[in-house]
Amino acid sequence: MIGMFNRAAQMMVVAALCTSANGAIAQTPTARIVSAANAFLATLDETQRKSVSFAFDDEQQRARWSNFPQGIFKRAGLNMGELSPTQRSAAMTLVSAALSKRGFEKVQQIVDADEVLKTTEGNGRLLFGKDLYYISILGTPSDKTPWMLQFGGHHLALNITIAGQRGILTPSLTGVQPALYTANGKTVRPLGQESDKALALLTSLDSTQRSQAILNYRVADLVLGPGQDGKTIQPEGLKASAMTEQQIAMLVDVIAEWSGIVHESAAAARMAEIKSGLGDTWFAWSGPTTATPGHNTTAYYRIQGPNLVIEYAPQQMGGDPSNHIHTIYRDPTNDYGRKLTGK
Amino acid sequence: MNAHRVDEYLQATTIQVAKDRVQAEIHLTPGIAIYPVVFAAIDTDRDGAISIAEERAYVERVLRDVSLKVDGRRLKLRLVSSEFATIEAMREGRGTIQLDVDAPVPRGGPERTLTFENHHLSKIGVYLVNGLVPTDPDIHYRLQHRNYEQSQYQLEYVQAGVATDLPLSPWWTGPIGLFTIAVLLASAGLIRSRRRHASVAT
Repeated sequence: MIGMFNRAAQMMVVAALCTSANGAIAQTPTARIVSAANAFLATLDETQRKSVSFAFDDEQQRARWSNFPQGIFKRAGLNMGELSPTQRSAAMTLVSAALSKRGFEKVQQIVDADEVLKTTEGNGRLLFGKDLYYISILGTPSDKTPWMLQFGGHHLALNITIAGQRGILTPSLTGVQPALYTANGKTVRPLGQESDKALALLTSLDSTQRSQAILNYRVADLVLGPGQDGKTIQPEGLKASAMTEQQIAMLVDVIAEWSGIVHESAAAARMAEIKSGLGDTWFAWSGPTTATPGHNTTAYYRIQGPNLVIEYAPQQMGGDPSNHIHTIYRDPTNDYGRKLTGK
Repeated sequence: MNAHRVDEYLQATTIQVAKDRVQAEIHLTPGIAIYPVVFAAIDTDRDGAISIAEERAYVERVLRDVSLKVDGRRLKLRLVSSEFATIEAMREGRGTIQLDVDAPVPRGGPERTLTFENHHLSKIGVYLVNGLVPTDPDIHYRLQHRNYEQSQYQLEYVQAGVATDLPLSPWWTGPIGLFTIAVLLASAGLIRSRRRHASVAT
């Protein structure tokens, strides 16, 4: 009976994937995500469906995300380790449908880094690895009414609100440890571009601009990390309106490392929104102004605009801060899609 | 490598300024290596648990170790709420003590200076302090200054709709005004009396 159920579920996933591939021209991204969500839900039994489903306005579940590993932070939903290969595949198909190609690759690299950590550091109550990433759905997948997809675990919290054709990725957390590792003979730096592009922007500034951008105090951690929903701090640093066109293009390129995680059409809409407030967007840097080539910077930086907060914060935590990064991506006007959904 | 703070006591404060009041949220997160130091400061009877009285005493200690001033005048902080993470969470470097405090701001001129200092357990403390964007459209931040550690913070802001820091009521209704009027009336009475005496003499 269970075998029949699994085969039926497998067929539904395959059918959904085929529909997605064949109907790519006709289907909107939201329709693809909804289709992938329904295909994933169809693979689950009743108990699992209850575990993965939450009300759209469940504030506790919305805010139940963290940079902490499982074991010292309790997540809800379904974790990958408790899913069958078919269910897990359907779950990842759903996540990939909601993200861009590069966004999904970044997510996989963050998860892979945690798998590396599992082999080197897992101990006691600190639990690491691919099995410990959770998926949850808030509301009912729909291309009309808003709903939310969450996917996260250690160093990852994606909160994706789907509201019609819009896909809102804020607030989301990306992080990584180790920030540099080798997989299949290749060097991987999941958040390498976030570091290199920002450092290149800083390096492009003249002395007057640098004196404004570089803060004269230490920033030891994220200011608006998990648990800090709804806050907007006073911006500081160098305003984009005081940058050259080339520097503004570099700033946009840094921002795209976060705004481009979500699928392409949502990312384009988001970037248009960010660009509309670009003149009032600030870039602030605290810490070393150089980095070891091929390694992440150990400096903190923040990009803040009318509808944007990005923070990049290397973590001391008794080790090499270039190898342990936390970042946060927010829209203070629209975290969890509140501006569009009213909830 | 660690997944949590180790040898630092992260103390992050956000400050919200309004015309008549300042609110501050203080988040205290001990790292795992220095947790025993923080716990010893809280668990003063050394019974391994944190009682309500010990929570209160620790909050009072924190509030003594921080200072909030506006225009040089130290404000008396009122505890609005406090929340202590479990001992287990704090031991693992993921537990936070959150204090919400506020203080009334005495009336003043349009240009004001707020200072916040935090010297709580300074040997192990690392500090963050930020002004939240004001919700009152009449408040505009001009400058923020911090020392390198962020244990000292200064915010210069402008408060619209305030013409002057002089008393708003007319000068003659105050003690000095009343005294002056009394003196003038008394003088006038004396002059009249002298004139009366003078006319009698002639």
